[in-house]
Amino acid sequence: MSEEKGVDAGCPASCQCGNISESRRTLLRRLGWGAFFTTIGVSVAGGLRFLFPRVLFEPPTTFKIGTLDDYPTGEGDEYGVVSISEKFMENQRVWIVRETDKVYAIFGKCTHLGCTPKWFPEDRQFKCPCHGSKYYSNGVNFAGPAPRPMDRYGITVLEDGRIKVDKGVLYTVNDFDNPDCFLKA
Amino acid sequence: MSEKSEKKSFKQKMMSGQIWKSIWRHDFEDTGVNRGKVLRSNVFLHLHPIRVPKHAMKIRFTWCMGGITFFAFLVECITGILLMFYYHPTVDMAYLDMKYLMFDVPFGQILRNMHRWGAHLMVFSVMLHMLRVFLTASYKPPREFNWVVGVLLLTLTLLMSFTGYLLPWDQLAFWAITVGTNMGAATPFLGVEGPFSIATKFNDVRFVLLGGTTVGANALLRFYVLHVIAVPVVVCVFMAIHFWRIRKDGGISRPL
Amino acid sequence: MAEEITEKKPVKKTVPKKEKNPYVWPDLPFMELMCMIVVMLVLILWSLGMDAPLGEIATPSRTENPAKAPWYFIGLQEILVYFDPWYAGVVVPSIIIVGLMAIPYLDNNPKGVGEYNFSARKFAWINFLVGYAMWMVAIVVGQFMRGPSWFFFWPWEPWDPNIHHAEVLLKNIPFATGLISLVVYFALFYLLPIIFRTKIYKQLDFTRYFVLMTLMALMYAVPIKMVMRQVFHIRYVLVTPWFNI
Repeated sequence: MSEEKGVDAGCPASCQCGNISESRRTLLRRLGWGAFFTTIGVSVAGGLRFLFPRVLFEPPTTFKIGTLDDYPTGEGDEYGVVSISEKFMENQRVWIVRETDKVYAIFGKCTHLGCTPKWFPEDRQFKCPCHGSKYYSNGVNFAGPAPRPMDRYGITVLEDGRIKVDKGVLYTVNDFDNPDCFLKA
Repeated sequence: MSEKSEKKSFKQKMMSGQIWKSIWRHDFEDTGVNRGKVLRSNVFLHLHPIRVPKHAMKIRFTWCMGGITFFAFLVECITGILLMFYYHPTVDMAYLDMKYLMFDVPFGQILRNMHRWGAHLMVFSVMLHMLRVFLTASYKPPREFNWVVGVLLLTLTLLMSFTGYLLPWDQLAFWAITVGTNMGAATPFLGVEGPFSIATKFNDVRFVLLGGTTVGANALLRFYVLHVIAVPVVVCVFMAIHFWRIRKDGGISRPL
Repeated sequence: MAEEITEKKPVKKTVPKKEKNPYVWPDLPFMELMCMIVVMLVLILWSLGMDAPLGEIATPSRTENPAKAPWYFIGLQEILVYFDPWYAGVVVPSIIIVGLMAIPYLDNNPKGVGEYNFSARKFAWINFLVGYAMWMVAIVVGQFMRGPSWFFFWPWEPWDPNIHHAEVLLKNIPFATGLISLVVYFALFYLLPIIFRTKIYKQLDFTRYFVLMTLMALMYAVPIKMVMRQVFHIRYVLVTPWFNI
């Protein structure tokens, strides 16, 4: 009812009556279309939200890789890498890297577009088949379109001495110094 | 046989009966009126105008590419529906169903081949159709909007092919889709790895495409739904508009 | 009607008095039927002669080498070598789609409708065909000349996955130089047609001109970046904290 203003500007008093019905119609029209578009809008928003599931049934994120004794240290290459274990590549997409003084788990996913690079032991390089990115044995990129070194998973030693890799935690190059990102040994 | 001239033949009887006349509402004498009626009274033919400029019937003008694209779409629909009878969009079954289709189901292999090559044909012919329409300036007024619809249809055709690519669940498919959807993650603003990202791994463009963070069961199901119903329905709507607008925008383009 | 468009050309072919167009039925539907039959025949023979490929079962831990997108997207995959994913995979396709849709609204030259007329539409033909050719070349290169690890192979070279390619160290252009060269590059597109008083500039109003030149600058930037990468080993033209081009 407060919407009467605006319509009646310049109208003689005789059509006041008509104005009231006019403004009522305006109000009803606005309410009607408002309700219509609100319903459409909410339905679309709800439909969009529907496409984003809350719970994912993806595989568990942690797995154990044995004890430190399984990854003996030795003489490293020019990046300090002693050995690359491909044991967990097939099932977990993870390389366990043994450097002379530490162990860490590289997530085998090219940082360009997510292909799995391949380890070439004779070149001591990871090469990505999709767009030709290349990484040194420590997972640091040096050629191709990859924007940064391959990411690493969280890694900890359990009380019984076994090593746990947590795929729920991912460290990018800036966090490689984080104590949860490698094992000092 | 000998009384043919006296008695009406079965064919003549049939064609003058009520049932026949109720279906085909025109006579067959070669008159201009009948030639018009044939087109007007048939839902499949009524896309055509009654008369058309001579050059419009020349293959060297139209290349027939729009028609071939539409025909390829029909082939895809028919072969696709048949393939759906044997295909389960699940991680466990999808690949095995492909093998089943290829090695055991009668005519499964050739249906799959036709579906795959027909898709290639459709993409190819739609690309050539666009080239032809550009070269003959058929997008100029009053046909501007129909060109826009055509570009949308080209995009949707590529989308249909792309969503179908994952369904065999083989290595080629898996990695093509991995690369493709990771590009979604690089979308500016809305992708987790894109510049100016405001999204997380769990609510960005890639997440909604895959229904998860990796190409898995949800992604296969989503691509299946998009491929077999969602995108084709949208394509049908735009095709209807596209064909209708050809007529409404003055028919096939002709020299001024 | 359409005939009323007045052209300067005084000599026109003598047009016969409105000859009536021929009937569609039965000629055109018959031709369509023929066309359908030929396409169906080709498709069936193709399907009999060649099986659709099926690789090994999907395995997340092992990437195909080379992993290729379907051929119609391989042009984009080829551009991915030269640009970051947000640009090659998202921005470029979006610009292509929007740019294609904009064509009828940018081209206000009324000539050439309904005929293959190169001389009346030189600018439109040349630029469209260049763009189209770029698409095709990118597809052919990506499909037939990219082998394992996306290395370049000539068609006569075998795809040896263990082949050793010389390492090329890529360098970036410093920020200031990059920014200036980008500004100059776009300015050239905006200014050159004005300086040389080309038809394009005279024919279009400001908005159309600006949009058209922006789209053209973006289109030609792609092959230019490719050359810069291949010849001068430049990785990024513009490096910022947020994105690189």
